[in-house]
Amino acid sequence: MSESNSTAAPAAFAVQKRRLRLLGLTLDDTIKAFFGGNAVVAIVVLTLITIFLLREGLGFFTQNSQSLRVYRQAGLEYVDFIRAEVDDHTALTRYLSDLRLRQFTALTETKQLPLEEANAALATFDAFADRFGSTVDPLRSLLSDLTEQATAIKTKFIVTGDKKEERRQLLAEGKTAEAAAVQIEETDFAGELKPLLATLPAFKEGNREFGRALLATLDGAPVMPAPELAVRMGKLKQLTRAYVAGLPAVEHALETWDYTRPIPAWKAVSSFVFGRQWLTASFWQDWYGVIPLFIGSLMVSIVALVLAVPLGVGAAIYINQVATLREQRIIKPCIEFISAIPSVVLGFFGIAVLGQALRALSQVSWLSWMPGFPYSERLNILTAGCLLALIAVPTIFTLAEDALNNVPRAFKEASFALGASRLQTIVKIIVPASLSGIISAVLLGLGRVVGETMVVLLCAGNRIAIPDFTAGLSVVTQPVHTMTGIIAQEMGEVVRGSIHYRALFVVGLVLFALSLLINYVAQGIVRKYRISIG
Amino acid sequence: MDIPPSASAKSSAGKSAFSLPTVAVPSVSAPGGLAAPAGEALVDISHLDFFYQTSQALHDINLKIEAKKVTAFIGPSGCGKSTLLRCLNRMNDLIDGTRVARGTIKIHGVDIYQPDVDVIELRKRVGMVFQKSNPFPKSIYENITYGLRLQGLNDKAKLDAVVEKSLRGAALWDEVKDRLDSSGLGLSGGQQQRLCIARAIAVEPEVILMDEPCSALDPVATAKVEELIQELRERFTIVIVTHNMQQAARCSDKTAFFYLGKLIEFAATRDIFTNPANAQTEAYVSGRFG
Repeated sequence: MSESNSTAAPAAFAVQKRRLRLLGLTLDDTIKAFFGGNAVVAIVVLTLITIFLLREGLGFFTQNSQSLRVYRQAGLEYVDFIRAEVDDHTALTRYLSDLRLRQFTALTETKQLPLEEANAALATFDAFADRFGSTVDPLRSLLSDLTEQATAIKTKFIVTGDKKEERRQLLAEGKTAEAAAVQIEETDFAGELKPLLATLPAFKEGNREFGRALLATLDGAPVMPAPELAVRMGKLKQLTRAYVAGLPAVEHALETWDYTRPIPAWKAVSSFVFGRQWLTASFWQDWYGVIPLFIGSLMVSIVALVLAVPLGVGAAIYINQVATLREQRIIKPCIEFISAIPSVVLGFFGIAVLGQALRALSQVSWLSWMPGFPYSERLNILTAGCLLALIAVPTIFTLAEDALNNVPRAFKEASFALGASRLQTIVKIIVPASLSGIISAVLLGLGRVVGETMVVLLCAGNRIAIPDFTAGLSVVTQPVHTMTGIIAQEMGEVVRGSIHYRALFVVGLVLFALSLLINYVAQGIVRKYRISIG
Repeated sequence: MDIPPSASAKSSAGKSAFSLPTVAVPSVSAPGGLAAPAGEALVDISHLDFFYQTSQALHDINLKIEAKKVTAFIGPSGCGKSTLLRCLNRMNDLIDGTRVARGTIKIHGVDIYQPDVDVIELRKRVGMVFQKSNPFPKSIYENITYGLRLQGLNDKAKLDAVVEKSLRGAALWDEVKDRLDSSGLGLSGGQQQRLCIARAIAVEPEVILMDEPCSALDPVATAKVEELIQELRERFTIVIVTHNMQQAARCSDKTAFFYLGKLIEFAATRDIFTNPANAQTEAYVSGRFG
């Protein structure tokens, strides 16, 4: 070879060669285009989904603004002032019945009275409670009249809206004659509201009478037998006086109420973000407040994390630092296998087994000291949280184990060489050194839990209400509804393009933003606190 | 081979102070704190066979390490010198499947492989510096006080004193005294290694094991560590594993040459390097193999 080179003319250094070309691209270019194309598809899909979510979701706010305007113009808002007053009275009545229940329990359990005697002993109390409750009756009947009137106005407005839509469609189809034939009666809010507003003097009169009557009943309050109950009765009197003192404020609100006052634009957003009611398909007014759903998701996630973090991190520490090779080979696949269980199966298990078992457990008498025990709702935050914990454990375990694995062996050896025990080494060196990884593992576990749908839909109880936090820790035994659950449950039933439909999209957007935030924070933590290894 | 006068004066005192694990530990904060006089055999290895799983790493090692001397282990890679070093504070226990099949390692006459030996106590008395500097991802101060805090010492004044003493002892004080609260990982390689030495001497061990402490350092940092070893021999018994024969020649009193898991020759360093008794030793130290 070297001989031929030395004799012949020197060959070109790089031999030129025809390359295979596909559509004018070389093979290398084709391969590059193939892989690049896959990446582009991912980006395009993400962009499309985001655009779709935003387009469908943001329309909600204009519709919500419109809905709030009608709420005001049709006088529903006006009537709701009175309704709130009546509802507050109902709350006081509830307090009173709670008091009766306590007294009744005291009589039957501590004094061992038979039921009839106990009821008889409470006769004066019941008479008082009846008087207390009936004071509001005149107002209540006024309220139901007003409710009917306001509903009628709203219905009229909606019918007009439907007719307008009909005409618009006919025009779009070019049927001008038919369109002209559609009778449209513009709603005259001012005129319609007149009879409604005319009831104000009557209301004022009734309201003052109501306040006087309520205070008068208080004087006839029965004397409570036990000091603890007397304190409660005192509290009731105090609450009632405060309530009566607040009555003129309602009158004032009604006097100054003006249906023409415009709804500020931010109301459409704030009534969603801070709204405490998610009420749909109501005859009165639909409310799309995300707070009950958000709190439901949050509570379920917190319970899940409280259970899953010790389990997942603990198992990771055990596997990484303590377990023998044999134990590792058994335990690791087991934990990772949990994530292979379909969540609908877990949910099914939750309904059929776990919810039942937990409720039975809560009714065991010697466990009654536990907060919230015993409880009767089989499906609640606790049930869903336990199952979600099961879903989060593999994520947390795997990522935390990775983080622990990344701690250089040298740290461990140095610690042992200084006379540290295994526990001291874990607590003082290994865990602090991998803390950032463990925290991000927990956050990603949280992301997993927040986005989980099937289990919460099946097991969280699906009651759309903010749980009663005054119950303390036992709040976890109450049912809730979640953001993921509501979308899954209601999306199938809503009319496309309706306000309800769009509200669900906004809930989806909130979930999307939440997941993004969690992932972003988790990555940030890892990046910021990544230990540089000597 | 000059024996420090203070050590020779108490040649007969406190010989049995090192007793594991039941007898109370002698106060480590006593001046010197070290019981064995210089020149006396502190570590006695006899007929040691050591296995990784089924492969034998050490064959019938017999060796006496003298107190307050620097003993160097040399030999080609894989000859078992690091394994033997790690046997002395039972660091090999951390590796699955290792075992001492035969023989004993006695420190102060106590066999450290007896089941009733408190390994944690042993490691407090036999400190270690690793090949790669491995300060904890904590502050310099926290690094030094780690061992003492493990023992339950939380007195700030005492800890401050120990930190200064240890850093001075490791010739690092002047370089870091203004930034004790900054991370130990922010130091240069040589400083990190001296920090590790300071961390090891902070708990006042009797023996310091050094596993190729300079192999990752540049010549200037190496010189500093070697200088440090010369100072530390006054107070500690030092066992150093090294690949660098000049280093062994420069800073050790006695040298052991290992080859294929066997101790080939153990003698005064001067003899090993100028007049080796064994042909293999001569071949190795003169650079013909290894």
